[in-house]
Amino acid sequence: MTKAYEGPLTTKYIGTPNDLFDQSDDFWVINWPRTFTHHHTYGLLTPFFKGLTEGKLMATKCTNPECTENSTWLPPRADCPDCYARTEWVQVPSEGKIYAYTMLDYAGIGIEMETPYWQIDVQIDGVDTIFKGWLKQGKPVTGMPVKAEFRTENPTHTILDICWVPK
Amino acid sequence: MIKFGKGNLRVPQWSRRVFMVAGGCTPFRKYFPEYKLEELVMMGYKMMLEDNDLKLSPKEIKDSIQYAAYGEFADHFQDQLLCEAKIHDYLGLDPLWNTGIKTGGATGGAAMLNGCMAIASGYADCALVSGWERMDEVDTRAGNFYIATAACKDFETRMGRIYSSYYAPMANRFAEAYNLSEVTRAKVAVKNRGYAMSNPNAQQPGHHTVEEVLESRMSAYPLRFLECCAMTAGSASALLCNEEMAYKLSDHPVEIFMAGGTHTLRVADRRHMEIPLLPNEEPGQYDELLKESGRWPGFESFLAARFAAYLAYRMAGVHDPLEEMDLVELHDAFTISDIQTYGDIGLRPYGQEPDYIESGDAYFEGKCPSNLSGGLLGTMHAVGATGVWQACEVFWQLQDRYDYIHGDKKWWDRAGKEKPADWKSLQVKDPKQGLWISHAGVGSHVTCGILRKAW
Repeated sequence: MTKAYEGPLTTKYIGTPNDLFDQSDDFWVINWPRTFTHHHTYGLLTPFFKGLTEGKLMATKCTNPECTENSTWLPPRADCPDCYARTEWVQVPSEGKIYAYTMLDYAGIGIEMETPYWQIDVQIDGVDTIFKGWLKQGKPVTGMPVKAEFRTENPTHTILDICWVPK
Repeated sequence: MIKFGKGNLRVPQWSRRVFMVAGGCTPFRKYFPEYKLEELVMMGYKMMLEDNDLKLSPKEIKDSIQYAAYGEFADHFQDQLLCEAKIHDYLGLDPLWNTGIKTGGATGGAAMLNGCMAIASGYADCALVSGWERMDEVDTRAGNFYIATAACKDFETRMGRIYSSYYAPMANRFAEAYNLSEVTRAKVAVKNRGYAMSNPNAQQPGHHTVEEVLESRMSAYPLRFLECCAMTAGSASALLCNEEMAYKLSDHPVEIFMAGGTHTLRVADRRHMEIPLLPNEEPGQYDELLKESGRWPGFESFLAARFAAYLAYRMAGVHDPLEEMDLVELHDAFTISDIQTYGDIGLRPYGQEPDYIESGDAYFEGKCPSNLSGGLLGTMHAVGATGVWQACEVFWQLQDRYDYIHGDKKWWDRAGKEKPADWKSLQVKDPKQGLWISHAGVGSHVTCGILRKAW
C-alpha cells in the first residue's frame, strides 16, 4: 500500500503570473492564456479522409433492401439514419455543379486559407446531399461545372485536402 | 423524398395550461467588465421579480419557485463547466432541481420550452427560466471561431471559422430562387437597428440607411457587417406558472403555447422532403415552386422552423399567423435568416418572403410588426439569453408595458445612457397575441412560442 507523505512541506508557486488586460477603480480583468492540443478521431469515416490523400472522393450508401431511401451520403456517415443499417463505401465522381456559394472575406481566428476566397456547395450526380468545399481558382456561378483537386502531397489530413476548380 | 411518420406529426398538448407572469433582462453590451456572470444573471432576475407588477413580494416569489431551466449556449464562452450550479446557488435556489439547456442559438427558446414542460407536467407550479452568455472573454475573431464550432468540425468549421459563411450561400441561393434584392435584405437591418434606438438595453442601435448597410464591410458575400447580429454579454429571465399560481401572482398573465423542430446541423445533409403544411396552406400549393427549385427545404428554407410552427399553430388553434398575430419577434441573427423564416412560419407563402418587408406589414403600425425590440441585429444576441429575452419583449407588449420597460428613465440610467430626445414608443395598440422564434445552427433547432393575453 502506498502511504501518503505526512511530513512538513515547503511549496513554491511555479505558474506564470497573469497580467491585467483591463482595470478601473471598480474591476480587474485578467488575461488567462492557454495552449493545448485535442486528439480527434475520424472513427469509421477515416476512409473518407484517407481517400482524399489518394485522390478519391468516397461517399457512403445504404444498400439495405428494406430501406425506403437508400441514400448516398457525402459527407459520409457510417450508419443509415432511415433504417439504421451500416452503410457501404462507394467512390463518387469527383465532379459536380455549383449549387450555392459565398466569398469569405472576414474569417474567424485560425483560418488556414488566404482570404478572401470562394466557398462553394457542390451538387454531385448520384449523391443525395450537397457537399461544401472551396474553389481554388475562378469565380462561381450557380450551375457551373467544377471538378475536384486533391492535396495528395503533404496532406493536411482534413477536409481542406479537397478543393474545386472550374471544369 | 423523405416523408414523415404519422406518429411523428402528433401535435403536442400540455397536460395543464402554462402561463408567463414576469420577465427581466440586463442591459446588453459587447464588453461588460463591471460585473461577473452570476451578477449579471442576478440583475435580470431581480428585474423579473421587482418590475412586473407582481402581487407577491420578491421573497415570497423566491419561496414559491420549484424548478429552474437554464440556457447557456457554450461552455467555451463562459470558460466554466456547470455554470448552472454556480448561478443556481448565487440565486439562492438550492436544493431545487435545475436543468441546463443547450441547443445553440435556440438555447433560450429551448429553455423556455423546458420550463413550460415542467409546468405542464405538474413537476412545478412556478418555474424560473433564465439564460445568459458572456461572449466578451475572447476577442471577436476567437468568438467567431467558437461559434463556428457549432458547425460540423470535420466538414465545415475549417472553412470560414465564422457563422456568416454558413448563411451566406443560402442568401445567394435565396436571392436567385425567390428574387430577393440586397435592398430588401438591407431594409431588415435598417428596421431592426432603428427600433433598437428605443430600447435602453440595445447594444448596437442606429438610424442607418440602406446605402450604409450595403456599404458596410463584407463578412461573407453577400452578408455585410451591418447584416450580422451582435456578440453580447447579458442575461434574461422569465417566470412561468400554472393557472392558479399565475393569477395569484399577476392580474395580467399571458398564456403560452410552444413547440420545436429540428434539422441537420450540416446544411449539406438536407435531402428533398415533403413540406409539412401550415393550417392555411393547401395540398399542391407548392408544386410549381418545387418544379423550379427541385428540392425542399434546399438552401432556401428551414424545416425546423416550419415544423415548429406546424405544431405550435395547431396547439394554439392559430389558422393564419399574419392575421392573428399582433406582433412577432424573429431570430434575425442575419438579415437572410430573418427573411427565410417569413415563409417557414407562414407570414408569407414560400417564394413571397420579401413581400412581408416590402408591403410594410413587418413595420411598426403595419399588419404584423416584427422585432420592435430591436432584435438580434440591433439589441442583443447573448445567445443563451436571447430566446428568453424575446419572450419577455412580446410579453411586455401584450401587457401594454412597452413604454415603462423601454421609456422609463430608470432603465436608461441603469444602462448608463441618455434617453434620446426623439425616443419613440413602439407599443402595439391593444395586442392580443404574439409569437417568437428562437433559432439555432443553420436551422438545426427552432422553437415557435405563442403568447396570448389571458385576462
